[in-house]
Amino acid sequence: MIQRLLPFLTLIALFAGLCIASPHFLTTTNLSSVVRQTAVINIMALGMTMIIIAGGIDLSVGSILAMGGLLGSMAMERGLPIIPSVLAGVLTGLICGFLNGLMTTQLRINPFIVTLGTLGIYRGVALMISNGLPVHNLPAGFSYLGEGAIAGIPFVWFLLVVCAAAVHILLEHTKHGRFAFAIGSNPDAALYAGIPTSFHTVTVYTIGGALTGLAGMIEASRLMTGQPTAGQGYELQAIAAVVIGGGSLRGGEGTVIGTLVGAFIMGLLANGSDLLGISPYLQQAIIGAVIILAVAVDELRKRKLG
Amino acid sequence: MLLQLTQIEKRFGGVTALRSGNLQVQAGEVHLLMGENGAGKSTLMKIVAGLYQPDGGSFLWRGQPVRLTRPADASALGIAMVHQESLLAPHLTVAENIFLGALPSRGFGLVDRRRVHDEAARLIATHNFPLQAGWRVERLSPAGKQLVEICRAIHRGSSLLIFDEPTSSLSEAETREVFRIVGTLRERGAGVIYITHRLDELRSLGDRVTVLRDGETVHTAPMTECTTESIIQHMVGRPVTAIYRREPLPPGEELLRVDRLSLDPLLKNISFSLRAGEIVGLAGLIGAGRTELCRAIFGLDRPTSGSVSVAGRGVAIRSPREAVAAGLALIPEDRQHTGLATALPIAYNITLAHFDEVARMGFLRRAAEESVSRRFIQQLRIKCESPRQLAGRLSGGNQQKVAIAKWLVKQARVFLFDEPTRGIDVGAKVEVFETMDALARAGAAVLMVSSELPELLQVPDRILVMRQGSLTGELPGRTTQEEIMRLAAFSQEASA
Repeated sequence: MIQRLLPFLTLIALFAGLCIASPHFLTTTNLSSVVRQTAVINIMALGMTMIIIAGGIDLSVGSILAMGGLLGSMAMERGLPIIPSVLAGVLTGLICGFLNGLMTTQLRINPFIVTLGTLGIYRGVALMISNGLPVHNLPAGFSYLGEGAIAGIPFVWFLLVVCAAAVHILLEHTKHGRFAFAIGSNPDAALYAGIPTSFHTVTVYTIGGALTGLAGMIEASRLMTGQPTAGQGYELQAIAAVVIGGGSLRGGEGTVIGTLVGAFIMGLLANGSDLLGISPYLQQAIIGAVIILAVAVDELRKRKLG
Repeated sequence: MLLQLTQIEKRFGGVTALRSGNLQVQAGEVHLLMGENGAGKSTLMKIVAGLYQPDGGSFLWRGQPVRLTRPADASALGIAMVHQESLLAPHLTVAENIFLGALPSRGFGLVDRRRVHDEAARLIATHNFPLQAGWRVERLSPAGKQLVEICRAIHRGSSLLIFDEPTSSLSEAETREVFRIVGTLRERGAGVIYITHRLDELRSLGDRVTVLRDGETVHTAPMTECTTESIIQHMVGRPVTAIYRREPLPPGEELLRVDRLSLDPLLKNISFSLRAGEIVGLAGLIGAGRTELCRAIFGLDRPTSGSVSVAGRGVAIRSPREAVAAGLALIPEDRQHTGLATALPIAYNITLAHFDEVARMGFLRRAAEESVSRRFIQQLRIKCESPRQLAGRLSGGNQQKVAIAKWLVKQARVFLFDEPTRGIDVGAKVEVFETMDALARAGAAVLMVSSELPELLQVPDRILVMRQGSLTGELPGRTTQEEIMRLAAFSQEASA
C-alpha cells in the first residue's frame, strides 16, 4: 500500500522540501507559473493514460500538438473567431489521433511503429503547410487561454480539472473505459468476450488526439504564436508522467490521478531546479533517473504481490 | 543395445510427468512409442534428446551411463529428434536450418553459403520433398517445416532418430516418403523411436512397441505379439474414479446445428447438433481439430464452407462479437491468455461480456456491479476475498469459474467448454461439472471438449469423437475408454 502511494508521497515531500528550500517557491506567481507550465504536458498525458491503459502508445503526440496549434493559429490569422479556431485545433488533433488508431487496428501494425511513422508525417505536414514559419498575427484575446486567470487562479487550471474529471469518469465509470482496461490487460480475452476491440482502440487514440490538439492550442496561446516546431520531445514527457503515476506499458494499468501526480512531480523538479539554480542540463538527468526509479519501485511491488 | 532407459522420473514443479519411464532401443529397430495424451511420451523423448534433464533413473547409451545437459550433448552422441512442434529459425532458409548448429565454415567464422545450399538441395532432391533450399522457413506450411526437421535429423547421419508424430500434418505422399526414410534408416543400422497414435499405418514398419500410461511404461512387446486390441487396453487402463455422475435429462429443442462445416485443412465436413439440456462430449487426440472446431463455430476463424444455426435460425458468425450476440459462449482452454484478464479485478471479468447489465446509459452503476458480482461469486462458490480482488490471484479452479460467470451474466444458451478441467484440482473439477449440469438443467446446451477419458464417461450424455479433422463417430455416454480411443486413434478399417 505504501508503495502504491509512493508517487503521492514523493509529490508531497517535493512540495514541502521546496517550501523550505526556497522562499520564492510558495508564492502565487510561482505556483501559477508551475500550473501553466505543466498544463500542456498534463492534458497530453491524460490522453496518453487512456492509450497506455488500452495497451497502446502514441509517440506522435508532440507532432500532433504542433499540427493542432498551427492549424488553429492559421485559422485565427485568416479571421476565424477565437473559439471556433480553438475547436479547429482540437479537431485537427482528433483527426490525427483517429488516423493513428485506424492504422494500428486495420493494418495491424504495432502502435509503436505506426506512431513513430506519424511522428515524422505530422511534423512534416506541419512544416510544409507553414513553410516552416511560425504564425504570429494572433488576436490579443487568444492569450487568455494560456495566460488568463479567474480570481487569481490560472484559467488552464480549470481546463485541466475539467479534462481530468472527464477522462477519469470515462475510464472508471463507462463501458468504454472498462473495455479499454480489458483490451489492454488481455486483448484476446476481450475479443473472446465479444467486445468490438478495434472500435474501442480507435476511440482511445481519437480522444488522445483531441486532448493533444487542445494542448497545442494552449501552447500556442502561451507563446502567442503557432509554431510548426512546437512540442518536440513532449511525447516522452507525457509517457513519463503516465509511467511515474503507476501506468504500465504492458497495458491494463493506470489512473488519471496517478498521471496528474506524475506530471506535477516532473513540473516541480523543473521548477525547483530553476529556483535553486541547478543546471538545466542536470535537470534532464534527474527527471530521467526519477522515471527509472518509479518503474523499478512499481515492478518490485508487483513482484512481491505476484 | 543403443539406448537403455530405466525408471526415468521427471517432475515439473509439483506435477509428475514421468514416474517410471523404461525403454530399450536396439540398433536397426523401429520402436513405436504409444500412449494417451499426457502419458509422458514427449517428455521421455525430450529427455533422450537432451532438452530436459531427468530427476531420477538411469540413462545408458551403448551401455555407458551418460548425462545430457543440453541438446548439443545428444547430437554429439548421434541422437537426433524430429519435433512435433517446429523448433526451426523462421527467418533463415531451409538450407540454413538443415545445417543449423553444424554450419560448414570457410575459416575465420565465415559460413560457406554455397556448400550449405548445394548440400541441402542434394538432400532434398534425394527424398523428392516439395522444398527448395533457398526458401525461408516462415513461409512453409506445418508439413513443410516437419520435412525440414526430418532433413536436419537425417543429414547428420545420427545413429538414433526420434520421430514425434511426424505424419500428423503430412500428406499421403509425404507420409510414404517418411516411412521409406524410416525403413532406410533401419537398414543402415540406426535405431528409430517413433511416437504415434496411428498404429494401423505403422504396423508393418514397427519392430517393437512400448506403451506409456500416466508416466509409466506399462507394456513392451515385439510387434508380432501385439494386437490393436491389446495395445488399446494398455493405453487406456486408467482407473475411473467415480468422482461425479451426471443424471441425463430428456433433451429439449435443438439449440446449435453445425452443418458440413469445413476449414481447410483442419476441419473436414463436420455436422452435429446440440439440444437444450444436453451435455455433449467431444473427444479426440491432440491435433484432431477440437479446438479449431470451437474457434470456427465462435467466429474466431472463418470456415471455408458449411453453416451454423442457433436455435433453428441460420446465423453467419464472422466474429466473436456476432457469436456472443447469437447466444454462444466459449470458455477457452488457455484461460490465462484468452479467457481471463488476470490483471483486472474479478468484478471486471464477470461483467465483461454483458456490461449493459450493470450500466445505465453507458455509465457504470457500482452498486449493480457489486451485487451482480457477489451473486455469481456466491452461485458458483468462487473462493475470493472480494469482487475487487485481481482474477489472476485466484486458484485455477476459481479462475475457471470466473471465466464461466461472465457468460452466466450474459445468459448465453450454447456453451463451448474447451478442456474445462485442465490444471484444476479434483474438488474444483466436480464443481465445474456441477456448473455445467446446472447450465444444462436451466435449458442450455453444452459442448465439452476433453482429453480426459474418465471425465468423458462421467459427464456427457453422448460423445462425439474427432480424428484428423473429421468426426469419426458418436458414442453413448455410457461407453468405454476403449471405444473412444478406437475412434480417436485408429481408422475405421482397423477397428472393424
